[in-house]
Amino acid sequence: MRVDILQKIEGEAFLRYRFKKGRIEHVKIEFPHYRGVEEIMRGRPAEDAVAIAPRVCGICGHSHLIAAAEALENAAGVTPPLKARYIRNVTLGCELIQNHIKWLYLVILPLLKRMGFREVPFFEAIDKSATAGKIIAIFGGQYPHTSYAVLGGVCSDPTLLEIQKAKLFAKEIEDFFHSEVMEEIERFSEFKDSRGILKEIYIFLKHKELLDIGRAHDRFLNLREGTKILGLKRVSAKLRYVSTAPSGIGYAKNALYKGKYFEVGPLARRIHTPFVKDLHRRYKDGLFTRIAARVYEIKILLSQLKETLKKIEPQGDSFVKTDSLAEGTGEAVVEAPRGSLIHRVKIKKGKIERYEIITPTQFNLSNGTSLNPGPAQKAVIGLRDRSEAELVFRSFDICSVCTTH
Amino acid sequence: MSKPTKKEQRKIEIMDTALRLFSKEGFFAVTIADIAKELNMSVGNLYNYFSSKEALAKELIFYISKILGTKIREINMMDIKTKEKIEKIVEVYFNTAIERPELIDYFLRVYLSHKEIFKEGCEGMICVSPFVTEIMIFFEEGVRNSELRDQDFFTAFGLFMGYLGGMVYLKGEGMLPNDLKFYTRSISENIYRALKSED
Amino acid sequence: MKTKALWLQGVSCNGNSHSFLNYEGLRELLSKVEFLYHPLLPSRLRIEDLADFTEDIDILVIEGAIKKEGFLRGKKEFFRLFQKLKKKAKYIVAVGNCASFGGVFKEYEADLTGVGYSKGEKIADFENLINVPGCPAHPEWIGSVLSLLCEGCEPELDELSRPAEIYSYTVHAGCLRNEYFEWKVDSATFGSKEGCLFYQQGCQAPYTGGNCNKILWNGVSSKTRAGMPCIGCTEPGFPSRDLFKTKTYMGIPARMPKGVPKRAYLTLTGVAKSFKIDRLNNPLMPKGPGCEKEES
Repeated sequence: MRVDILQKIEGEAFLRYRFKKGRIEHVKIEFPHYRGVEEIMRGRPAEDAVAIAPRVCGICGHSHLIAAAEALENAAGVTPPLKARYIRNVTLGCELIQNHIKWLYLVILPLLKRMGFREVPFFEAIDKSATAGKIIAIFGGQYPHTSYAVLGGVCSDPTLLEIQKAKLFAKEIEDFFHSEVMEEIERFSEFKDSRGILKEIYIFLKHKELLDIGRAHDRFLNLREGTKILGLKRVSAKLRYVSTAPSGIGYAKNALYKGKYFEVGPLARRIHTPFVKDLHRRYKDGLFTRIAARVYEIKILLSQLKETLKKIEPQGDSFVKTDSLAEGTGEAVVEAPRGSLIHRVKIKKGKIERYEIITPTQFNLSNGTSLNPGPAQKAVIGLRDRSEAELVFRSFDICSVCTTH
Repeated sequence: MSKPTKKEQRKIEIMDTALRLFSKEGFFAVTIADIAKELNMSVGNLYNYFSSKEALAKELIFYISKILGTKIREINMMDIKTKEKIEKIVEVYFNTAIERPELIDYFLRVYLSHKEIFKEGCEGMICVSPFVTEIMIFFEEGVRNSELRDQDFFTAFGLFMGYLGGMVYLKGEGMLPNDLKFYTRSISENIYRALKSED
Repeated sequence: MKTKALWLQGVSCNGNSHSFLNYEGLRELLSKVEFLYHPLLPSRLRIEDLADFTEDIDILVIEGAIKKEGFLRGKKEFFRLFQKLKKKAKYIVAVGNCASFGGVFKEYEADLTGVGYSKGEKIADFENLINVPGCPAHPEWIGSVLSLLCEGCEPELDELSRPAEIYSYTVHAGCLRNEYFEWKVDSATFGSKEGCLFYQQGCQAPYTGGNCNKILWNGVSSKTRAGMPCIGCTEPGFPSRDLFKTKTYMGIPARMPKGVPKRAYLTLTGVAKSFKIDRLNNPLMPKGPGCEKEES
C-alpha cells in the first residue's frame, strides 16, 4: 500500500493505492475532517442559510450561495425576478471562470512542470481570475464570500454604468484567454493550427502518450439541465434519484444516481459541443478530453457572460418580497465549477430543521470497490506511475473542503 | 450641571408665568403684553427673551418635555423592575398634573390641539424629544429584559401616554370622583398587564 | 534575502487563501516573501515536509481555526505542527475570523479557537500575534500587513490584536448609504439602491470594525454598497444569528453604532425622523429604458 497526499487542491486528500504487478489495482480516497456546515445550519432562521452556505468553500462558495438561495425559494414557492436570475447567472459564471483559470495555472500546470512541461508564469492568470472576482463584486459587493443572493432575488440594483464596467472586465479576461490559453475555435480540426497553453498541453501529453489515460465510466450527469449522458445519448435525469451512502473511509459520503457512479463537471456539461465531442470521439472520457473540456468551458462561459450582461435591464426588479418562510422543503441544483451541486433544506417554524449538501466531488471521487469503482478511482486503474495518477485526479478538479463540508 | 445664568433664570420665570396665565385664561386670550405686565417688565424687554408669542410657545413645549424627561430619566436610571418603573412614571405624571397642572394642561390643550402653531420648528419629535427619548429608553429596556412584549413603539406609547393624558383630561373636566392619586395603583397595574411579555 | 513565511491551515474553507490571491500587489509581495509552504501557490516544501521542518521563519500565517486533536495536516496532527512552528516564528499572522477568534466552524465544534483568542476572550499571551479577521480577510489587509512586516515595521494593534489602522474604522464609514442613515430612511426591501440597511435588514456595519468601505472589495465595491447588510465578519461574535434582520426592542435597534450612547442616538433619531427629506425618499435616479435591444 502506498499513501500519497494529494495537496494544493482545495484542501487535501489521502490516496491509498493498492498495486498489483506494478499497476494500480485500486485506490481509496480519504478526505479528512468534517466541519459540520449542515449542523451549523440547523436551528438557524431559514434566511441565514445564504450567509452560512458560502463558507463551505473558498473557491466555489458562490455556487453554494446560489444553491442555498434557490433551495429556500423552492421551499417558499417563489421565483425571483428575471433580472435577479440574470445577475446570478453572471456572478455564478464568473465563479466558474476564476476557478477554471486557477485550476489550470495552479493545479494542473505545476504538476505538468514536474513532469517536464515548461515553466508557465501564473501572475497574469491569477490577475485575470481576480478580474472575474471584480465582476462578482460589482453585483455582489465582494468576492469571495458575498451573500448577496437572498430568498427572492439579489440585494443589488446595478446601474447601466456598472454593467458597462463589468463588460470591460469580461473583455479583459477574454483577451487574455484567447491570446494565452486557447484561440477562438469551435472544432478540433482547427485546434491543430491554433496556439495557446491548451495546445501545448495537448502536444506534451501526446508525446508522453497520456492523452487517453484516465478514462472513467463514460457516464455523465448534468443535473441542472436534468440529463444523464450515456454513450453521448442524453436522457432525462431526476434529482430524486440522487442518493448518498457512507464511503467507508474518511468523512465524505459517496454520491450516486440510481445506485451508480457518474461523472459530473465541465466534461458532462460540454460533451455535446463540437469541440469536446470531437475529442471524446478520439480520446473518450480520457485525461485530455477532461482537461480540454474544462478549459473550453471558459470560452463558453465568457461568451454567455457577455450575452447575459446585455440582458440586465436597470428598470427591472432585483428582488421580490416574500412572506416570511415558515414551513416547507426545498431543493436546488446548481452547476458549480466541479459539477452538479445539490442543496436540500427542510424548514419548520421558520427555522432550518435539516440541511443537506451533496457536492460534485462526492460524485467524482466516490469510494467504490475495486469491482465497482467510483469515476476517479476507475480512471487511475492500470496506471503505473503515481504522477500520472495524480494528474488524472487533478483533471477532476478536486475540492476536499467541499466534500467534507 | 452648571448653575443657570441670570438670563436663563429670567427666561424660566417668564415661561412659568406664561404657562400659568395660559392655563388660567386660555392660550389665545393671553398676549405678550399680559405676560410682561404680570412680570413687571416692559414688553420690549420680554421680546429680548422671546421674539414672538409663537417662539415662546415652541420653547414652552421643549421646556415641559425637559422637565418630564429629566424625571423619567431618573426613573430609568434606577435599578428596579419595569413594573415598578411604570408605577413611578405614572406617579411622576400625576404629581406633575397635581402640583403644576399648567404643564400638562399646556401639553394637552395647546401643543396637541393646535399643531398649526408648532408646524415649523417643532416638527415631529423635535420639541418633545427629551421626553419621548426617555420613554423610548424605558420601553427598550423593558423589552430587552423580557419584562415587556416586543411590539411597535407607538402602539405601546399611545397606550401608556394616551391613558395618562386621558385621565388628567377627565380630572380637568371635573369628571373624576376621586383624586388622581387614587388611581395610580390600578392604572399602573393596567398598563403593566397590557404591555407585559406573555411568558 | 527574502522574508521566509509559511502558510499553515487549520480548520478552514480556503477562503483566505483565495482572497489573498486577489491581492493587487501579489507579484511584488512574492518578490520579497518566500512562502516555504502555501496551500495554493507553488512552494519549496510539501505539506508532509513540515513534519521534519526545523528552520526559523519570519512569518507564520495561520488560516482556519485551531483544533487540538484529531485533525491532520499531511500525516501529522495539525496542532503539533502549529506548536512547533509558532516557536520558530518571529510573527504570527492569523488571517480570517477562524484563525483570529474561532469563526464559523466553531459553531459546530465548540472547542475550536483562534490562535490567541476564543471569540473575544484571550486564551494565550502572544506578543507577536497579529489578527487579521474577516470572512475572508480583505486581500489588502493580508498583503499589506505581510509587506509591512517584511520591511521591519509593525502595525499598531487594537485590543483584539488587530491592526488599528484597518479596524478602527467601522464598515459604516464610507458606505454610500450614509445619508440614509443620517436621516433614518430605511431600505424597505432588498434590491434597492436607496435606504439604509441598519434598521430592518440587519446591517452590522455601524458597530463592525473594518475599512471595507474605505478601500473597497475587489477594487470596485462593498457588500453594503451592493445592498447587502454587513454581517460583522471581522468581530469575535461572528457569525451571529438572524443575519438579515435587525434585532429591535420595540422598534429600537438592539445594538447602537460603536461608541454611541443610546440616549444620544435616540435623541438624534427622533429629530431626524421628524423631517421627511424628499430627495432621500424618492428613487435616487430615474430607471431609464437602458440600451436598445436587438430584435429577437
